Amino acid sequence: MNLEENKQNICSRCVMDGSDPEITYNSQGVCNHCERYDSLVQTRTFSGDVAKTELSKVIASIKASGKNKEYDCIIGVSGGVDSTYVAYRIKEMGLNPLAIHFDNGWNSELAVSNIEKTLDKLDIDLHTYVIDWDVFSDLQKAFLNASTPDGEIPTDHAINALLFKEASKRGIKYIISGMNFATESMAVRMWSYGHSDWTYIKDVYKKFGNGQSLKPYPHFSFFDLFNWTFLKRIKVVSILNYMDYNKDEAMEVLKNELDWVYYGGKHYESVYTRFYQGYILPKKFNIDKRRGHVSDLIRAGQLTRKEALKELEKETYPSAEMLNHDMDFVHKKFDYTEKEFNQIMKQPTKSFLEFKNKASKVDKIKLVLNFLRKKGILSK
Amino acid sequence: MLKTRVIPVLSLKGSGIIKTHKFKTQTYLGDPLNAVKIFNEKEVDELVILDIFASKENREPNYSKIKNIATECFMPLAYGGGIKTIEHIKKVFDQGVEKVIINSASTNYQLITNAAKIYGTQSIVVSVDIKKNIWGSHEAYTFSGTKKNKISLDSHIQNIAKAGAGELILQSIDNDSVMKGFDLKLIEKVSNQLEIPIVALGGAGELNHFKEAISHGASAVAAGSMFVFKGKHRAVLINYPTQKDLKNILN
Repeated sequence: MNLEENKQNICSRCVMDGSDPEITYNSQGVCNHCERYDSLVQTRTFSGDVAKTELSKVIASIKASGKNKEYDCIIGVSGGVDSTYVAYRIKEMGLNPLAIHFDNGWNSELAVSNIEKTLDKLDIDLHTYVIDWDVFSDLQKAFLNASTPDGEIPTDHAINALLFKEASKRGIKYIISGMNFATESMAVRMWSYGHSDWTYIKDVYKKFGNGQSLKPYPHFSFFDLFNWTFLKRIKVVSILNYMDYNKDEAMEVLKNELDWVYYGGKHYESVYTRFYQGYILPKKFNIDKRRGHVSDLIRAGQLTRKEALKELEKETYPSAEMLNHDMDFVHKKFDYTEKEFNQIMKQPTKSFLEFKNKASKVDKIKLVLNFLRKKGILSK
Repeated sequence: MLKTRVIPVLSLKGSGIIKTHKFKTQTYLGDPLNAVKIFNEKEVDELVILDIFASKENREPNYSKIKNIATECFMPLAYGGGIKTIEHIKKVFDQGVEKVIINSASTNYQLITNAAKIYGTQSIVVSVDIKKNIWGSHEAYTFSGTKKNKISLDSHIQNIAKAGAGELILQSIDNDSVMKGFDLKLIEKVSNQLEIPIVALGGAGELNHFKEAISHGASAVAAGSMFVFKGKHRAVLINYPTQKDLKNILN
């Protein structure tokens, strides 16, 4: 690395910086995340007239797959903006979804009331999977003790597993996802790794859990994923990639049409997510997830770099009072004394690389998926 | 006139909460702390927590669990389950609970009298679980609905009132979690005989059911399933009507 590169510590286009230890910059000072975005945006999203035709095509196939069935697709609901907007739009287009909710014991009141209002107004049926709290809390605590920044992985992995399991069980062929390339294209593996790596999750639990059976915990291996995707032909459609998705506009629609209420931060509908992203990640790992989020929005043209930098100057927590409440609540839920929790906060940090993992396999699969999307074989 | 209380009821089993159906099949609902936190923010009037198998399993109340819940609870909290003696009652109050509920020990009328003398009649609640027999008459049960009372229902409730209970939770086992409405005949029959407030429990599925219970003599209404299940798949989702909806239906 030459001296020039060494000096640079923030991307000249977005606001990603050295808090991603694997960041690289090109000769213009643009980071690898921006370069990745530019190279993939065409293959991951549609826009303009193409988007309209492609969207009506995919909606028609979803409807056809659900002919004479109770439901034609599955959606995950969390009460957050993306999943709620997906529900709103696909109902508008005449789909008949079954909503699935993963209850991990950390729902905020806003989350449940947003879900309730959405489903009532849109007339969508709900199925909830409530994970055994003794098992799940022990898995979350295992990740805290493992000292990697992946404490939200137990939830993310389980949601994916649950959606596939329910689709497979009920013979539903489509999962409509709220993932969207426009406002969340970026994956920083040193900030959060393991969404699809059961080997890693298992190893963390083996080393730091209290030995309960993880059977109630929805999970999947690569073999399961292969079975669901290629044998059962369950397709994941990220419907927001078929439209010009603007988060602010989406929120306005939801507020007006569904009486939906914003909860003040990305994914802050869950108390643990709020605490994890607003306190544990910044304090212990020096990771501010908002940096990634606003960088995504800069690339999508929904935020200027200046606005983003200003946003990052704010406190990570909506208010000090809320932080205190959440802190007490987390201690109580996990049965930690203040001292025990502070001990965890002080432990040296680690990464998933120090555990068993399938990272190289995940990378290969991603390459294959991107290739298939490029060729139009896989949905966006 | 006092506002009609609308009370969610949560049943403890082990470390989690569950919902029974007709006192038999059980659905797991998750961690009580989170449910309580959500009910706090929904500005619930009062909350009932029942450790439903404590007496049957001959256990004392789990005091540390009660304390955990009570400290999280902003609304008045009533606790029942495993209470047999004045010492139990004292210890439950020490955890920060506002009312204790006596069920399996309710034929020990002396206990009710003693407790009411010490803690005031308004903080001693008795609950009675009731099942219809094959001839359609109501009979009281204890120990999670497994043991039929020897004494007749009419005499039992009159004794409870005389002993000094502040209110009576009247629970229909047959209607538990059915969500098609309360046992209105039962509410009418019991409320006609008693001066103390009756809390109707068992069968609520919609707001209108509350109205029916009140018009048949209940002073307050309580529900389990209605506040934890959503829609035809009975998906777990904590909910509670808005104050506006309650006003509309109950005034």
